[in-house]
Amino acid sequence: MKLDILFQLPVALALLASMPVAAEHTSNWAVLVSTSRFWFNYRHLANVLSLYRTVKRLGIPDSQIILMLPDDMACNPRNAFPGTVYSNADRAVDLYGDNIEVDYRGYEVTVENFIRLLTDRVGEEMPRSKRLLTDDRSNILVYMTGHGGNEFLKFQDAEEISAFDLADAFEQMWEKKRYHEILFMIDTCQANTMYSKFYSPNIIATGSSEIDQSSYSHHADNDVGVAVIDRYTYYNLDFLETHVREPSSKKTLGDLFDSYDEAKIHSHPGIRWDLFPGGEQGGRDRLLMDFFGNVQNVEVNSVVNDTEWKEDLLALGKKIAELRERAEADEAAERNVSTAEPLLKNHSSQRIRAAKVEIDGKWWEKKAIGAWTLAGCSLVWLAATYMES
Amino acid sequence: MRQLQSLLVFLAAILTFARASSDYHEQLVLRPLQPSLLLASFNFQSNTTWASFEQQNFRYFPRSLGQILQHANTRELHLRFSLGQWDAENWGARPWKGAREGGTGVELWAWVEAETDEEADGRWLTLTNALSGLFCASLNFIDSTRTTRPVLSFQPSGYHTNSTASKLHLLHGTLPREVVCTENLTPFLKLLPCKGKAGISSLLDGHKLFDASWQSMSLDVTPICRSGSEDCQLQITQTTDMVLDIQRSKRPRDNPIPRPIPSEELKCDTSKPYNSFDTCYPLDISAQEEEWSLSQIFGHTMKGSCPLAENESYPVCINVPHARDIYTSGAREHKDESGYMRCFELTPQEDFEMILPPQDLSERAPLEQPLLYAERSFIGYGQERGGVQAILTNPSPTDAVDFVYMESLPWFMKLYLHTLKAKINGNSEDVIQEMYYRPALDRKRGTQLEVRILIPANSTVVLTYDFEKAILRYTEYPPDANRGFDIAPAVITIGNVSIRTTSLLLPLPTPDFSMPYNVIILTSTIMALAFGSIFNLLVRRFVAADEAEKWDVRALRLIIKGAISRFARRFMKKTTKKD
Repeated sequence: MKLDILFQLPVALALLASMPVAAEHTSNWAVLVSTSRFWFNYRHLANVLSLYRTVKRLGIPDSQIILMLPDDMACNPRNAFPGTVYSNADRAVDLYGDNIEVDYRGYEVTVENFIRLLTDRVGEEMPRSKRLLTDDRSNILVYMTGHGGNEFLKFQDAEEISAFDLADAFEQMWEKKRYHEILFMIDTCQANTMYSKFYSPNIIATGSSEIDQSSYSHHADNDVGVAVIDRYTYYNLDFLETHVREPSSKKTLGDLFDSYDEAKIHSHPGIRWDLFPGGEQGGRDRLLMDFFGNVQNVEVNSVVNDTEWKEDLLALGKKIAELRERAEADEAAERNVSTAEPLLKNHSSQRIRAAKVEIDGKWWEKKAIGAWTLAGCSLVWLAATYMES
Repeated sequence: MRQLQSLLVFLAAILTFARASSDYHEQLVLRPLQPSLLLASFNFQSNTTWASFEQQNFRYFPRSLGQILQHANTRELHLRFSLGQWDAENWGARPWKGAREGGTGVELWAWVEAETDEEADGRWLTLTNALSGLFCASLNFIDSTRTTRPVLSFQPSGYHTNSTASKLHLLHGTLPREVVCTENLTPFLKLLPCKGKAGISSLLDGHKLFDASWQSMSLDVTPICRSGSEDCQLQITQTTDMVLDIQRSKRPRDNPIPRPIPSEELKCDTSKPYNSFDTCYPLDISAQEEEWSLSQIFGHTMKGSCPLAENESYPVCINVPHARDIYTSGAREHKDESGYMRCFELTPQEDFEMILPPQDLSERAPLEQPLLYAERSFIGYGQERGGVQAILTNPSPTDAVDFVYMESLPWFMKLYLHTLKAKINGNSEDVIQEMYYRPALDRKRGTQLEVRILIPANSTVVLTYDFEKAILRYTEYPPDANRGFDIAPAVITIGNVSIRTTSLLLPLPTPDFSMPYNVIILTSTIMALAFGSIFNLLVRRFVAADEAEKWDVRALRLIIKGAISRFARRFMKKTTKKD
């Protein structure tokens, strides 16, 4: 049976390889990054949280969303609405809600951690929830917001990521087969410069404003006391909420980009198609749900016979039994080794501990002894000088 | 197929076994505090046998946490998320004798099984990182500079066999700066068997919990054994305690900003004489018991009892005098003999609501007095040095208190141990019984200080020490360096009672962060000036103004002529030598 499967595998692979380029994604991921600290940047966290709610609503689970929040707005002492973040002055939707998982927060949101996340260069102790576990069949939505300038974006007002860093990170991802397609969105001042250096294939990029243009906030909430959302994000959300209401939506990226109204956004949003196979036309026809949702097409292989799955199950059972036996053998071997070892280790079992500080009650006695010693020395010296003279 | 069947039979056998030996309890205790506050203590506890934990048969014990503990060889775990300050003078002793609370921010301590210290450090790193992923907190920032190995302060609360006890390593870490918010409550609720959907956990709401005057979430995993038997169990206890301001909690969520009461709703003291009808002496209602209900305080009613807590008969209890009126939605009331505690037996699958009307009461449930009052603050001035002063008061008129005071300071706060002084009622006397100290190493580890002190009855000890502030490297400052650096609370242990002081905010000398650019610009300017003038001196020839006119093409021609003749002479000499 096993041999049989092994024999079938190359055939199946050959079949897959010979198929026309119907390569589709099999998983969806979202990397949502806010890069601004401090209360007056409330709107940047609200931007990213409203995107978080949107992709969650359209089906991407928390385990496939990497959310980076550099500051605490919901439980901030300045917040009159504890545990709550709003992105609209009507305060209809509480973005923080009752069920939220933030993967990187506070001081963890740094350029280094962001690039390590994208390229998966992390220590072995890094938990899975903080890693981007994508493969060459994963579509990724990367959304960034914060304060930026010509070819850079500030992180926490302390460091910057440049457009070149970002382009190189995406190229590494491509080389490591870590994505299938990327939709890159950025809402910051001079945002379009951030994607201008990309050179890796299969990326569609869009930004809120051209070089030398600022991105503006949409409106403020008087009770929150600060601006609550940026214009570009506001109109993206507006479209996603009014037109993409359920995961079966057939709206395309073209529909979203056509909805951008420069008069409303107060800046010129840019779109970059040239890295995408099929160029602008190929990109425009892609469904929004390919990036914002979690919908994959299912390929159904024809069922050969009914008993096959039972045989597979049996083979699997045998395999598990075999593995278990092997693990037990390993464990037994380990036990044999470990019984011999402790004899050697016992000698060096010194523990790191705080030292006990001796509180000395006899300091007066010690001072007297010291004084006597000094007096004795000086007597000897005096005697010597007297004898010499 | 047969294998599969046998596996299923085996699994079923394990399941019945697990059901017989695992149990789950939950209880909410409410206690009104003065003035107009309410302490709500949630307690969730479940047991699992050690055998089923080892075999990864999880029933009430959360699988996600169990696997982390097994992976990191952790035998006992204590995790705390806390915010706010407990006002001991008005609120009395702490709930659970302070054993279920941590210092401001996040506090974690665990007993890790390992052969050597290095191995223990490795497992501690695994544990902190895994927990950071599970609880959405930056626990991975507990590195070697924030980890201590206390000697006196923490004792294992569970039972450990002698063979494992010798290999156990206690590690303790704190993050005083860490915020505690809804993303920490979400995983906390997901670990509960009823997941916040039913039972008392349905009352836990981030919007109320993080609006509290003081709150603490705790998670403890301890092994417990019945004496003299091998039948060991693993106990997981989750608690949440919060002190809610009743007035504040009653504000509607969409309009929480306090606004003046409209004049028609004002309650005036009618016993006073009024000259005109638009004046009002507000009625003093502080003597009256506050009016509140569960749904007002927690935002919604309780969604029935948790069906998994089978043996739990009294999930909700309240600590008020029996004379206090309480109306509930069809729950049976049980009053105990002490006169101050009553519990409610709920009807399953029905929402539970409890209403306490305003009432004039002459008596109040008595407050338990704390064993010790502790406060800690900075003294001294300037950017270079400072001091810390801890005031510890024993209120008892008869009993002395023996306690351990533990400080774990960051490396950039350099403690001078010789300045440590303890004064009792203003006189320096010997009150320090024992002291353990581990000095800091720059960027490697922090200071650890444990002092055992005996305070006689009815006296105050003032503990002071001085420290020096280190200057950090440019890249070591956090993005909000001007806010200051949080110093972890001191932990005071009196037997099984523990008290934590508040955290401190240490201002360090911070550079102007644009300074490097200023320096670069200034240095470049100076270098350009120096280089320019030296270059000038080297290549230019300086002459007087009247000589300058003669300095023309003729002079140049003379120089060239001289050079040529010198060269020619040398060449001639060489040729003559050859000859």
